[in-house]
Amino acid sequence: MERGFVTLIGMSIAYVASFIGLGLAWYGWKRRHRDDAGGSDS
Amino acid sequence: MVGGAGFFYRLARRSESDFFLAGRRLPWWLPAASVFSTHTATDTPIWVTGTVYQHGLRGLWYTFFSAWTSVASFVSARIYRRSVAFTQAEWQVVRFHGMGAELLRGWMAGWQVFMNMFILGWVGIAMGRVCELAFGWPVWVGLVIPSVITAFYTLAAGYWGVVMGDFLQGIVAIFAILLVSIVGIVAAGGPHGVVEGVTSLGQAWRLDSLAFTGWFSGDFPMAWWLTMLVIAVVGGFGMGTSIDWYIEAQRIQSAKTVRDAAYGIWWGGAITLLRNGIWAASILAFFVMAPHITNGAESELGWYRMGFELLPAGLIGMFFAAILAIHFSTISSHMNLGALYFTRDLYQRYWNPEASEKRLVWVGRMATAVLLVGSFFYGLMMQEITQWLIFALWLMMAGIWLPNILQVVWWRFNAWGYLASWMANLGIAWLVVWVLPEFHVIPVLPDYLQFWSLMALGIVIFVPATLFTKAEPMDHLVHFYLQTRPLGWWGPVRAEARRRGLLAEELKQTAGSRPWIRRTWTAEEADGWSREDWIAIVLSPVCMALIMVGAAHAFLAQPGGLWELAGGVVAGVLVFWVIDPKLKAVSVEYELQQANYLHRLEERMRWQPDTIPEGRAD
Repeated sequence: MERGFVTLIGMSIAYVASFIGLGLAWYGWKRRHRDDAGGSDS
Repeated sequence: MVGGAGFFYRLARRSESDFFLAGRRLPWWLPAASVFSTHTATDTPIWVTGTVYQHGLRGLWYTFFSAWTSVASFVSARIYRRSVAFTQAEWQVVRFHGMGAELLRGWMAGWQVFMNMFILGWVGIAMGRVCELAFGWPVWVGLVIPSVITAFYTLAAGYWGVVMGDFLQGIVAIFAILLVSIVGIVAAGGPHGVVEGVTSLGQAWRLDSLAFTGWFSGDFPMAWWLTMLVIAVVGGFGMGTSIDWYIEAQRIQSAKTVRDAAYGIWWGGAITLLRNGIWAASILAFFVMAPHITNGAESELGWYRMGFELLPAGLIGMFFAAILAIHFSTISSHMNLGALYFTRDLYQRYWNPEASEKRLVWVGRMATAVLLVGSFFYGLMMQEITQWLIFALWLMMAGIWLPNILQVVWWRFNAWGYLASWMANLGIAWLVVWVLPEFHVIPVLPDYLQFWSLMALGIVIFVPATLFTKAEPMDHLVHFYLQTRPLGWWGPVRAEARRRGLLAEELKQTAGSRPWIRRTWTAEEADGWSREDWIAIVLSPVCMALIMVGAAHAFLAQPGGLWELAGGVVAGVLVFWVIDPKLKAVSVEYELQQANYLHRLEERMRWQPDTIPEGRAD
């Protein structure tokens, strides 16, 4: 495989981890606001 | 080290802060040793050798990215230490606000957990290759066994074990680097023998660190060199502009004062560049002894080969011990750092905010172990993909290089702009690196043009994303400004802080009342940015460049080598003479406020309402 294509495969793998973290943050944020409706966010 | 872990076990288990930051009590020389040791890994002599073997002394500039610490020490390290954020992910909720900040924090934490596992795998594989070269062991033995030994003291003693180990391992590493490099140069006929050998091969350009092949042509164009300088030096104004930043960030926060944080990463960076200069001289000696290696994988092992083939039998054991030391220091740092992001930014923040300190330390230990096991699988699977990922990570830094600076220096930059730049970078890289060249829309671009193209295309995405969304709330920005005192375009926030009576009016001094270099400061005066800061910012990279190039030339007894080194030392002395009184004043005032800042940070971690300071300077 050529360099450019495999580079992008590598980047995409790294991004999967970031999206998992982002999803967890979204879950934590929604849970926080569900449990504490009307409360202040941080 | 494993034995010593017992001593620090009791310290590490007291709290999350002890397990991950050594209680923020370290003098500058411990973080400095840790920065140097962590960035001296088993793979480092491999890639430095490969680069210098191919490019001669000009290859040193490929390693000059470490000079970001020369500016960061006096800019972003100072700002980041004042934020008291445990991690770069946590910094996001100090700098930004609301859901955007939380999404950024999760994004960065996921990225860093992955990155540390990846680095553990790639450094482990390098150790496997070295053990295979030295003893003929299967690669997996070198990957697994040394890392498991490291895990014992990292699990038990946390960051205390990491920094204490790094200090001892750093001393061993410096000794081994000097010994093998000197033995290599002597074996090639001494400094004059190396110079004559390189010249007689018709390769005298290898002795010139500025042997350009043209402005834009050849394999060492001036445009590439200038790009590298900009990336390193201007990058020091931001955070995360180098992959190394994340390791340094932990060391910055573990230092006991702002001044210790600044000196910790300055010395760590300077010794790393000095090391590269010494290595480069010895790699030229290897080139003279073996000038016709065309296989890159073979030439990359040149420095290790000199150690194993030239040292007397009694010293080979010591050499291998030094290799183990540099491996331990890097592995332990990344295990602890990856566990920090998982524990602090994912588990505590989003999963269990009410977790006790005891439970957080326990989760930190479990995360360390899981990262280690993951890295074994990763290392074995990714032997070939490693090269792809390293290049990918370089591109990654290109697309978010400017946003990483803007988050520090521009008040209007917001969480949505920053998040957009991270996400867009993947798509832009697909276009510039593969899709458009594949369909012959554009040619395959050289590295430096890829960097500038990715940066320019990123601007098209993140500037509108920033300007079409709201600025962060002014209350939050004022809070952030008072605590960290960032450099750059913060006028509206500063004016608002003054209007609220939280910040004293700027003292206008007549030109005659201020000495050109000021040596006495009150804490309030030292909080601002002044001529002294800019002198340090300009002289510091010059100092590091002269030390790096001067060390290589001096080891080869080149005319000018000692002058370059002397120039570097003089520049360094000037930097510290100018900036030290100011850093001392900043540190004294700031340390008085730190308990208050930490209390507020802890409130934020537990999702309690933020409190904005009212009516007093903070």
